[in-house]
Amino acid sequence: MAQFKDDPEKLPWLGRKLMLFDDKKNVDRLVYGLYALCALLFLADFFYKKKYYISAENFPGFYALYGFFACVVLVLCAKVLRRFLMRDEGFYAPQDTESEDHPDHDLGKESHYD
Amino acid sequence: MIDVLPPFTLYLLGALLLPFLPKGHVRGLLTIVVPVVGAWWIWSAPEGLHGQMTWMGLEMVWMRVDKLAVVFGLVFSLAAFLAALYAWHLRDTVQQVATLLYAGSAIGAVFAGDLVTLFLFWEGTAIASVFLIWARRTEGAYATGMRYLVIQISSGVILLGGLVLQYHDTGSIAFEAMTLGSLGTWAIFLSFGIKCAFPLLHDWLQDAYPAATVTGTVVLSAFTTKLAVYALARGFPGTEILIYIGAVMALFPFVYALIENDLRRVMVYSLNIQLGYMVVGVGIGTELALNGAAAHAFTGILYKALLFMGLGAVLFRTGTAKASELGGLYKTMPVTMVLCVIGAASISAFPLFSGFISKSLILSAAAHEHHNIVWAMLLAASAGALIHTGIKIPYFAFFGADSGKRPKEAPAHMLLAMGLTAALCIGLGVFPSVLYDMLPYEVDYDVYTTTHVITQLQLLLFSALGFALLMKAGIFPMPQRSVTLSSDWTYRKAGPAVVWYVGLAVRASWRGTSGLIAKLYADFIKAMHASAGPDGARAANWPTGAMVMNIAILLGIVLVVIFVS
Repeated sequence: MAQFKDDPEKLPWLGRKLMLFDDKKNVDRLVYGLYALCALLFLADFFYKKKYYISAENFPGFYALYGFFACVVLVLCAKVLRRFLMRDEGFYAPQDTESEDHPDHDLGKESHYD
Repeated sequence: MIDVLPPFTLYLLGALLLPFLPKGHVRGLLTIVVPVVGAWWIWSAPEGLHGQMTWMGLEMVWMRVDKLAVVFGLVFSLAAFLAALYAWHLRDTVQQVATLLYAGSAIGAVFAGDLVTLFLFWEGTAIASVFLIWARRTEGAYATGMRYLVIQISSGVILLGGLVLQYHDTGSIAFEAMTLGSLGTWAIFLSFGIKCAFPLLHDWLQDAYPAATVTGTVVLSAFTTKLAVYALARGFPGTEILIYIGAVMALFPFVYALIENDLRRVMVYSLNIQLGYMVVGVGIGTELALNGAAAHAFTGILYKALLFMGLGAVLFRTGTAKASELGGLYKTMPVTMVLCVIGAASISAFPLFSGFISKSLILSAAAHEHHNIVWAMLLAASAGALIHTGIKIPYFAFFGADSGKRPKEAPAHMLLAMGLTAALCIGLGVFPSVLYDMLPYEVDYDVYTTTHVITQLQLLLFSALGFALLMKAGIFPMPQRSVTLSSDWTYRKAGPAVVWYVGLAVRASWRGTSGLIAKLYADFIKAMHASAGPDGARAANWPTGAMVMNIAILLGIVLVVIFVS
């Protein structure tokens, strides 16, 4: 979604380096890296002696599976609940700051390319 | 009478002096120097009770110094210092004075040795802090500030009621550990619970904090809620109900944090969740758990300040902190992005970051005491924290869909404040003993064991995997401009609507009844007029002489009565 062409010369050093994520392939590489890391961590459970207080903890890959499913279930819950809980931004207006612009006296708006 | 002056006096002096200084850097410098001197003051205060005085027969203690108070006092000073550095550009006298008084009141409350002193500072934090919301100077901010103030002051009034009952029951106003039972202790508990944002008492927090100014939200995030955690740790350690309250607190705001659009409000939900961990720690009440609560308050203040600062910098430069309006900022605000990621790693409790060394104490305490369900809830909340804060905030602000916004990097003083905070987050994560040595009880806990590091990494990276897959599948809820209904709907919409409808009904029934009565009365008069009036049938038959006779009889009766009496 690069609607905006950046001039690498004018970007700060770190920003220029990070431009590699403009390429979708590099983002995919990052995700594959995550898959690989997850696989390694799961396997790691078989190579050390776990110290635990709750018996479920000793199940191989317990933390991995629990983390994965907890987060998926929670996100799905949120997705369903959002249908009922979401309202228009001006729902509480004017007694609410959500639909107001942040006042300029509190800001220091500046564009990088100015 | 007073041997060691409470640090509050320093903040009060600073606040009184500030308006008389020339505007600009001198005032900024004062707001930075006061917390530094205050911290040194706290650090060098000898343990024990100081500033004892009798006022209207009440034994007041202005300064009780012990390890629990000192650790909170120091982190409050640190937060005040970092927030002042972050606000170096500020030229708003109201906000500067309010910040000093707010931080000073919070520190004053931490050192309060009795409930009356606690009450005074408790209200002080409420009154001083509302100006940070009003400083936005918009209609919405005014209304939000009013709602905030009503709830904060109510908490204070309930505390006052509780302390009066407690004094009546026990004859003492000392602020010591209490057992829930009498009405007084319940009132005090409720008052603490409001400020600590217990579930269903929490909405003021999400309502008010994002409505403050760029710098105001950073200040607000540190004090009120952590003061409440301190008060619970002091007043109700080991109170079992807190374990369950905390567990619910740690889990249920997840849904809101995930669907909320305003990233500063997402952070407030996240703050609420972190408070849940601390409340569980206080509820368990073992030495490990109480240490965990204090440590988590300490690290939490820092990493949350860091994230609020980062989002504040984004707001400062772009005019919005809404996920739906942001994205792609990493190219021109890369330093802010990296510092935000450090904050995100800390709140997600990655090993080597500060959240890890404090959250672990609480989770271990829950496991050691075999609160298995609570432990599982906290663990799920940890996985969730990575999603709704650790990933969501940096992702939607700095990466995600390109918004086309190319703001300038944050100003140098903001970067400095964020850099220092980030350094502290990493420093504490790498050298946990620095924090552990300050905790109220001796720490016999090794946080960097193989099991612990691997299991934590598994938990976090597999949650990240969940996020990546949900994102790929297009299931992850994308941000939209919206507000989310919560229990504050009851007093923002339903309550006023009920009042309006009741008003309508009362007005209608009043008009109906009074109209009916008036009509009946008029009909009666008309009927009388028709029958006995000049044109009535009866009047036509009465001679004038009958009237004269009647009056003569009446006068006669009056004469007799007067004569007899």
